Amino acid sequence: MNLGPTLFLTFFGIAAIWFGIVVFRTHSMVRSAIALLFSQTAIGAMFLVMQAEFLGVLQIMMMATEMSVMAIFMVMFMMDPGGMGKMDMTHQKRLSLWAGGVGLAAALAVIWTAGWQGPVPDVPGADEQARELGRELLGRSMFIFESAALMILTAMIAATMVAIAPQEEDTQ
Amino acid sequence: MIPELMIALSVGAALFGVGLYGALSQTNLVMIIMGVELILAAALVNLVAFWRYLHPDVTAAKMFVLIVMAVMAVEMAVGFGIAIARFRSRGSVEMEEARELKG
Repeated sequence: MNLGPTLFLTFFGIAAIWFGIVVFRTHSMVRSAIALLFSQTAIGAMFLVMQAEFLGVLQIMMMATEMSVMAIFMVMFMMDPGGMGKMDMTHQKRLSLWAGGVGLAAALAVIWTAGWQGPVPDVPGADEQARELGRELLGRSMFIFESAALMILTAMIAATMVAIAPQEEDTQ
Repeated sequence: MIPELMIALSVGAALFGVGLYGALSQTNLVMIIMGVELILAAALVNLVAFWRYLHPDVTAAKMFVLIVMAVMAVEMAVGFGIAIARFRSRGSVEMEEARELKG
């Protein structure tokens, strides 16, 4: 066991979980968005510890943008984005706690009884990984890659069409 | 036993549990989207952990990560599109007030 990476993995893992919990515990929606940003950044740091440099940097950059957009939407849509009124915006709390707890317990049971066998293979360097990923994207997995691009384009058009205010001739 | 893999997978399981709680318990659409984001982040952690500690030579595993990241972006874009439409028509994104959407 390599002590350094294990310690960092544990630290960033606890940070990701803690900020994930903070998302639903704070009354301020903007704080929720920032806590989610920290949680996702900690996950990106976990990727870096696991030597997936490209994915780690991508995760941090993508989530920073996504959560900033989310914070703006929070301010736009919320009646009380600052959480000063201490509004309770939850329902079926007991059921949700049970569902989350059962999901967590089931996943942990599978993880701790699966009996993963070592040794851990060596990972290629960051430049070699990026080269291999590029070959994969433009080779064997090109169809999947292009499908993802098409999916994003479709979602962009659909989201724009849904969000556009209805014109007068549409309602007639 | 691979301790690093167990830690990473346990973190993924905890994020899944927290995300599931959030997605089910929140009444605001944007907060529900946050819960779903956490569930997808748990999937990301698992995928990267499996790639790193079991099959670092299989690059296709990273493709899954990129696809899940694309799904996260798409989910947010469509969710916010629906939120804008809902806010425009009803002035609120509270899901308690969206009972007419029930089939």
